[in-house]
Amino acid sequence: MSFFSILRRTASQSLEVGSTRRKPELVTQSMEGVTMKQARWWLLMAAALMVPTGALAQPKGGGGKNPKPGTPAAASGGDIELDEKPGDKPGDKPADPAGAGTTDPPAGGTDNPAGGGICDVDPTAPGCGKGGDVPKANANAEVKADIVAVQQIYALKYHRFEVNPYFALSLNDQFVSHVGPGIAANWYISDVLAVGANFNYYGGLNVDSEFNFQNRRATRVAVPLNEYLLGVNANMTYVPVYGKFASIGDFIFHYDAYVVGGVGALWTRPIAVIDPDNRKFDYQARIAFNAGIGLRVFFNRWFAATAEIRDYIYPERIESTVVPTNQKDQTDPAKWTGDSQLTNNVQAQLGVSIFLPFSWEYRLPK
Amino acid sequence: MVRQWVVGTSLGLAAIGALAASETEAKAQEIQLTGPLAGAPNVRKLRLHREGRFEVAPTFSFSLLDEYRRTMVVGLRAHYNIKEWLGFGVWGGYGLISYNTDLSDQIQAKSPRVPQTNVNIPDPSKVTAGVKDFGEQTAKMTWFAVPQVTFSPFRGKLGLFRAVFPDVDLYFHLGAAFVGLSERSDCTATGTKNCTVNHEMNSRVAIAPTFGLGLTFYTGRLLSFGAEYRALPFEWNRAGFDTKGTGNNGNFPDNKVDSQDRTFKFNQMVSLFVGFSFPDLKVSE
Repeated sequence: MSFFSILRRTASQSLEVGSTRRKPELVTQSMEGVTMKQARWWLLMAAALMVPTGALAQPKGGGGKNPKPGTPAAASGGDIELDEKPGDKPGDKPADPAGAGTTDPPAGGTDNPAGGGICDVDPTAPGCGKGGDVPKANANAEVKADIVAVQQIYALKYHRFEVNPYFALSLNDQFVSHVGPGIAANWYISDVLAVGANFNYYGGLNVDSEFNFQNRRATRVAVPLNEYLLGVNANMTYVPVYGKFASIGDFIFHYDAYVVGGVGALWTRPIAVIDPDNRKFDYQARIAFNAGIGLRVFFNRWFAATAEIRDYIYPERIESTVVPTNQKDQTDPAKWTGDSQLTNNVQAQLGVSIFLPFSWEYRLPK
Repeated sequence: MVRQWVVGTSLGLAAIGALAASETEAKAQEIQLTGPLAGAPNVRKLRLHREGRFEVAPTFSFSLLDEYRRTMVVGLRAHYNIKEWLGFGVWGGYGLISYNTDLSDQIQAKSPRVPQTNVNIPDPSKVTAGVKDFGEQTAKMTWFAVPQVTFSPFRGKLGLFRAVFPDVDLYFHLGAAFVGLSERSDCTATGTKNCTVNHEMNSRVAIAPTFGLGLTFYTGRLLSFGAEYRALPFEWNRAGFDTKGTGNNGNFPDNKVDSQDRTFKFNQMVSLFVGFSFPDLKVSE
């Protein structure tokens, strides 16, 4: 193979493939063993090196406006490089200049082109075997319009472990706010279903509200109050919604939404407001069912912000509003509490999610 | 020989320089960093559901975290979107349904009618003007008029059960709210309009900032639906109580009900809407 044929082949590959740093390397490798004594060869080499540069130097947007056939359809932004090994994409593989060997004959479209096709100009071009002209064959091929809206889910969760620390704020208790930190851990059985547990801690963080004070003073009516110590729950999570948003500045972020539910225990006790001189309560565990919805916004494939609304439903023992008249009954703990009431503690949980392992491989291409 | 060497070396250096220059230039190409779609917009053929379109949306709203009275509002939102991300318009609503919370019912049933509470809780045997039931004394929001600006910086799509894929946008709204209130009227510590016997209601307009965010799901070229959260923080006397006016920092009751007894409330509501947009939508390049 002469040096000129090497140069011609290198330049044509660079123009066809349109990118990658391997072309200069290929040139360099091809030049090994070639004598450097003649100045015109230097000139030719410099010209050859400039050819791929010219091919790459497309104006911004130019390359994107006319993607080559065979380009992955959903290769938006820089995502694709994170997940695919170099050389996996069709565009990463060098073209076969001889038209023999690696290029498959096109499916369908066996008509001989009437003129203007690449096969008329160069019968040895790739795809110009017995199948005929590739562009015309592609034009005649049946279009498979079955393209899903999100071609690859940005953050797969299948067999990944999620750790979700958060801070919880109660939403529906006007009299005492229950705030505190929490942590959830989930194992994804499938990409949409997880089992896990969460833990909430409220001890020392329950706050009697100004509204409670004003209402009690104005009406002379005391409302029984309760405070929480901690809660532990086993949960199942289902993720039926996922998607992505494009924002100003071409920034794209991905999100999913989920429903969660489970059962556990909540340790609570009444705050003595009816007869605080005699009554003192200890924390007791109550069975608690929970259900909620959440939203997860991914910053990358393993780190996300979470916002969740969860309703913990449990039977609460509230302080009795009746104060016995004699001292013996007043000090009897059995008379300190009234009936059990089904109580909803709706809380917002704001936090972050960390998925382990940090990376994975897609089973299917985009 | 020497000349040949000089020329050869010079051209060799020029070639190396060209190589270095081409490498540097090539590294600066986005096309090498992000693939063949580099430089392209992040979304092609984007359906512009907002730009240059009017939207009319009937709304149904309900208030959240109410202490004494809940309100359900039927309304209408009319918007024009200058850009895909910017629009302006107005939302108006009427408090069609309003009812007391359980706390109000408990206060009505259990609060003792004694001199210490007569200013706050109507005692039917003493009231000469106004309402005789505490539930009727609680304030309510009767109407709303809100000129507002809408920003929708986030456009996307959503997959539901991997079967339904509507277009979605997330938007923020900001405006000024004019809220019609029915609230206990001012009364005095003594005289014919003293607060023990007078529990009349009065109307006034509160002006407050309003803001929030919402999600719009586009089911077609014309129709959309969604949900919206709205905050309306302002001061009002929701129970009609005398809570402030005298003592240290005015934090003790003075047996009068007036503007000093209004307390700050971060009023919140959620709206559901069905939107109709026209003319037909455009599609981006």
